[in-house]
Amino acid sequence: MNAIEINALRKEYKDVVAVDDLSLTVREGEIFSLLGVNGAGKTTTIKMLAGLTLPTSGDALIFGHSIRTDADKIKGLLDISMQETAIARKLTVEENIDFYAALNGMSESEIAEAKAYCYRSLGLDKVANKRAAKLSGGWQRKLSIALALVTRPKLLFLDEPTLGLDVLARRDLWQVISSVKGNMTIILTTHYMEEAEALSDRIGIMSEGKLLFVGTKDELYAATQKQNVEEAFIEVVSGGRKHA
Amino acid sequence: MRNSLKRISVLTGRNFKEIVRDPLSLVFTIAMPLMMELVFYFLFHTQTMQFEMRYLAPGIVVFSQAFLALFSGILISQDRESTFLTRLYVSKARSYEFIFGYALAMTPVVLGQTVLFFLVGGAIEPSLFSIGMLYSILLSLVTAAFYIGMGILIGTMCNEKAVGGVASIVIAGQSMLSGMWFPPESMNKGMLVVMRCLPFKNATDLLRYGFVSSDGVFQGFWLPLLVTLGYLIVTFATAILVFRSKMKAK
Repeated sequence: MNAIEINALRKEYKDVVAVDDLSLTVREGEIFSLLGVNGAGKTTTIKMLAGLTLPTSGDALIFGHSIRTDADKIKGLLDISMQETAIARKLTVEENIDFYAALNGMSESEIAEAKAYCYRSLGLDKVANKRAAKLSGGWQRKLSIALALVTRPKLLFLDEPTLGLDVLARRDLWQVISSVKGNMTIILTTHYMEEAEALSDRIGIMSEGKLLFVGTKDELYAATQKQNVEEAFIEVVSGGRKHA
Repeated sequence: MRNSLKRISVLTGRNFKEIVRDPLSLVFTIAMPLMMELVFYFLFHTQTMQFEMRYLAPGIVVFSQAFLALFSGILISQDRESTFLTRLYVSKARSYEFIFGYALAMTPVVLGQTVLFFLVGGAIEPSLFSIGMLYSILLSLVTAAFYIGMGILIGTMCNEKAVGGVASIVIAGQSMLSGMWFPPESMNKGMLVVMRCLPFKNATDLLRYGFVSSDGVFQGFWLPLLVTLGYLIVTFATAILVFRSKMKAK
């Protein structure tokens, strides 16, 4: 089954076209990286798919439900980790997880299990009783990502998840993402090309609201005659060619 | 329905923790008004009726509630600006559940303020301990709901920096147009009409009524109640509508 089917999705802000008739299909269980320079339309696309912004035209189906007409059915299937750290600052790490899991209707036993998973995979047990506001930027970021993982959604949007993390924390998160591969469909946006290279099943490259390339790493290398994602990305974006 | 109530309860619990862990909010909603109750009583109660405890204590309760507009507004605007609310919008929670979550979180603070200021007042002027105090405590939930609704509306519409300025208009309105610091009868007739049309004097009269109804100084019980309820309903309805439109940014 397809997790996402996007059909001519478009978003305009006054005279700016943020997303320009985007069409794309993402399979269930896939890790799909959406790459692009700043202002390419990645975050706007994610916000539309997550039901946070209405499209100007076009539609997308999330597990068969339209983002235009079935917004309520989509809620509960997906979660999102925003570019910015999104946590309750005066709550402790444990309280943040408890709160977010309970808000999403999880039972006591599910919460305990999810909490243990977050502690184990992201090392949050070391700071479980600290208030979020007192944590370093890196720990706050980890907590923000943990909240997205805690509900075990079928579809997870990770918008630049490793921004502000050090190398070790970034590798920890890569492991977490890899470990849920197959059980969760993940849409990942990132400026770190090695991240997309290491994690993605397929890659999409956007520029000025348009999708210029969709395919696997090997297909990207073949289309651009380059040997790594970074060079291939530059080739696609600077050439502005459609390789899809 | 059951899920909705559970989500409201979860949101209320989180918001309550956020409020009580902000020491500044407790200073402004409890410590400062308490100090004013004592200072104004001991300095002026022999000079003017306004500062006799049966007038002063209910006035202080409503005055302290005006600060709830500030702190509920700050909490919401902080949630919005940190994108924390955006994350919560992805959950199944609906706009009215968020609003009730913010409003109900303030209820223990409201009851704490009201009971404390009345107990202190009653300790100084024992005649306050009457059935009127019970009425006033119950009615304080209505007046507080109006100020909390104002705060939610302000926090939904303004950014964190603007909330302070806009909420201080509400606090100033409560101070200047409620008749708590000076007798409204000393104002000209036009001003008195304005005061009677706005919620501030009506909210103050409502809480004072249980203590001083026999003085015959107020326009009755029902008119202040209806005016306050009217403002409360309009404020909450507007807050829910604005909040819903922000959840679905165009």
